[in-house]
Amino acid sequence: MSDIDAAPSPSGLPALRRLAVQAALPIALVLLLLAFAAVDMRVLSLANLLNIAQQTSYLALFAMAQTVVILTRGFDLALGPTVSMVSVGAALAMASGVAAGYDPGLVLLMGLAAGFGLGIACGTFNGAVIALLGVSPFVATLGSYNIAIGIATTLSGGRPVQGVPDLFSHLFYGGSIAGIPAAILIAALVGIVLHLVLTRTVYGRALYVIGTNPRAAAVAGLPVKAILVATYILCSTLAALGALMMTARTGSGEPNLGGSLSLQAIAAAVVGGTSLAGGRGGVGTAVVGALFVTILSNGMNLTRIDGYVQMVVLGAIVIAGVVLDRIRLEQRG
Amino acid sequence: MDIDTTTPPPTDAPLLALSGISKRFTGVKALDGVDLDVKAGELHVLFGENGAGKSTLINVISGTFPPDEGSFRFGGEEIRHLTPQRARAIGISPVFQEFSLVPSLTVEENLFLGREASVGGVLRAGEMRRRAAALIEELGFDLDPGARVDRLSRAHQQMTEIAKALLGKVRLLILDEPTASLTERETGRLFELIARLKDQGVGLIYVSHRMREIRALADRVTVLRDGRHIRTLDAATATDGDLVELMTGRRIDVLFPEIPHAPGKVVVDVENLTLADGTVKEVNLYARAGEITGIAGLVGCGKSELVRAIYGLEPVADGTVRIHGTPYEAPTARQSLKRGIAYFPANRVAEGLALSRPIRENASLTALDLDRFARFGVLRQGAERSAVGAIMERLKLRPPNIERPVGALSGGNRQKVMLGRALTRELSVFLFDEPSVGIDVGAKLEVYAFMKALVEAGAAVIVVSSELPEVLALSNRLYVMHHGRVAAELTGADKTEQNVLASFFREEMTEAA
Repeated sequence: MSDIDAAPSPSGLPALRRLAVQAALPIALVLLLLAFAAVDMRVLSLANLLNIAQQTSYLALFAMAQTVVILTRGFDLALGPTVSMVSVGAALAMASGVAAGYDPGLVLLMGLAAGFGLGIACGTFNGAVIALLGVSPFVATLGSYNIAIGIATTLSGGRPVQGVPDLFSHLFYGGSIAGIPAAILIAALVGIVLHLVLTRTVYGRALYVIGTNPRAAAVAGLPVKAILVATYILCSTLAALGALMMTARTGSGEPNLGGSLSLQAIAAAVVGGTSLAGGRGGVGTAVVGALFVTILSNGMNLTRIDGYVQMVVLGAIVIAGVVLDRIRLEQRG
Repeated sequence: MDIDTTTPPPTDAPLLALSGISKRFTGVKALDGVDLDVKAGELHVLFGENGAGKSTLINVISGTFPPDEGSFRFGGEEIRHLTPQRARAIGISPVFQEFSLVPSLTVEENLFLGREASVGGVLRAGEMRRRAAALIEELGFDLDPGARVDRLSRAHQQMTEIAKALLGKVRLLILDEPTASLTERETGRLFELIARLKDQGVGLIYVSHRMREIRALADRVTVLRDGRHIRTLDAATATDGDLVELMTGRRIDVLFPEIPHAPGKVVVDVENLTLADGTVKEVNLYARAGEITGIAGLVGCGKSELVRAIYGLEPVADGTVRIHGTPYEAPTARQSLKRGIAYFPANRVAEGLALSRPIRENASLTALDLDRFARFGVLRQGAERSAVGAIMERLKLRPPNIERPVGALSGGNRQKVMLGRALTRELSVFLFDEPSVGIDVGAKLEVYAFMKALVEAGAAVIVVSSELPEVLALSNRLYVMHHGRVAAELTGADKTEQNVLASFFREEMTEAA
């Protein structure tokens, strides 16, 4: 074996460079906010900051969903269509409950069951195709992307599904505790629980090991396939929760709700520092990335940058995030 | 001929003369005032533990990075600002362990990579093909110049790497553990080649942990320890004990420990085992508690696949495996661990360790199903930290920080992390696949001592190794495998190198008949 203990580190001022790369994003976040504020002071108003936090909650949830599968070297391109399908399915279930004159509590339960049921079904499908049939995550979720769009459009007839009850909207959108909106509370709670799951449980530990070295994980006796299936289910369940929150916000089941969410969520996760090579990242990287992407679009909106130009910027950000990931990996050796 | 060696420089003046070479990496002194001289026609062995500075030294010599201080003379001239390209141009040709081949290109394309024969930008494929074929022929390698490198075995890739180093003008050849993936026969070929190169006045620097190779090849041996030059000895007069003592800084009389085998009940009983891919055919074998059962054989004979199948990594087509007398059907790694069977893979980087994760997590990985480490799926990190800390302390991990990523460790320390797994749970069967590949002599001794302790505690240990002296010395009973079958079972006085080799040939002869 070569003398790995004496491996050379990158030239220059290693400690300083390392810090610069690792802390690049939070620094960029502050600079970004200040730059937008220089154009328009409203960016820093309390109302706008709360607005940013609320918007971030949704993307943060989706970025967390992507992060758990990215940790295993996968990703979920079907996340957006899953969101659409859950939105339509939950709205239809609740609308039929309202039409049948059921108790509001029961209607709410029907909506939750339909939403999470569809989410879990989606995750099980993705996980089974990837882990059991050995199809690459790219192809598998590209396939389920189309399947989910098809189902969402067929169920809704391509039109928004009306009749979402007030209790549901209040619980997932309108409500607040101590002035903090429901979306932020839910996202924060999920973030804390997921962080504990990733860092304090056997499942979380296994996730990182599988992402770092899947063969070693199998040789060490980890149930790799079962864990992969569970992880895709976790991803789609988190997406379903986000879908319910967005449905509550719009007040109807939307067949186009998911839109470009798949890529936005991957972008947020990767920009935040989740490594597409697997095994690196967590709730922190998902949240920071979501914050970055949200602030960027919020600032661009307030400074009236054209929507199509915004797409160009977001695309460039994703590529920059992946390059940054490369540099980080090289630094760690 | 293509191995173009210039005539040796005038007598006595060494080909390479380094003095006071130091190299520092971010606070770590990898080399500290090292002297080394290599004469033309001499084979000079660099000997030392992992981390002793051998790799850093050969990287300095081949121009990968410059030394911080010291003088570097080659062929009588003072050399400064050496780059890998310039090193090659003046005849310094290194063969590193990490291959420098492009997987998607053929052998001959790799040989000429960056120095293609061309006229006006157009490759002269015919000439390159002829020269590549001539070189391979001269080296006596069984290698197809038109084969893609990624389709070759590791042994053949190693041959390609050596051929690449020898193409063009060579005055100093550097070989870093060149035999690690070669079979006995290929090793023999390499040794003949080395002898020829020496006759032609080529100087060689040879890094190896294998005593037998050092005995067979070395003219002089330089021992490094902790980045310092300890001593340069004449190979003819130095004993193995001297070398190991100098290397480790402690007195070691014998390399292999005396293992008191006390065979008890049959623990692993393999009957008529055939694997789905045909690498193992109709094998019968047993291993008893309290002894080491060895399995010897050439690279590719099926010995690794056999133990992997017992552990549950290779699909079985036919036959039975019994553990403690009960049939073990459809084995999986998880089930094996529960039944007390542990497997230590030959390739620790690919199959053993999650390099970017800490030592603690890697050591406890095979025991997370136990209450000791987790309850209801929630990790008990305090208990884990103290348990793994104690285990790594017992295995003398240096430095004893269990939060470092495994990727930062040397080969020997990585193997200790793997051994640590054996101590995290109750186990009775230990399957070692090439246990000492890529680790230095000091770490080897610790691995052997570890096996001895296991056997004394009544475990059944199976050791698979391509290194004959190792399996011969460690095992109480030795199976020899050849072409997927057991060719011989040797015990007691029959357990000799001659008998092992003879059983290969006997098999060859019966097959030919």
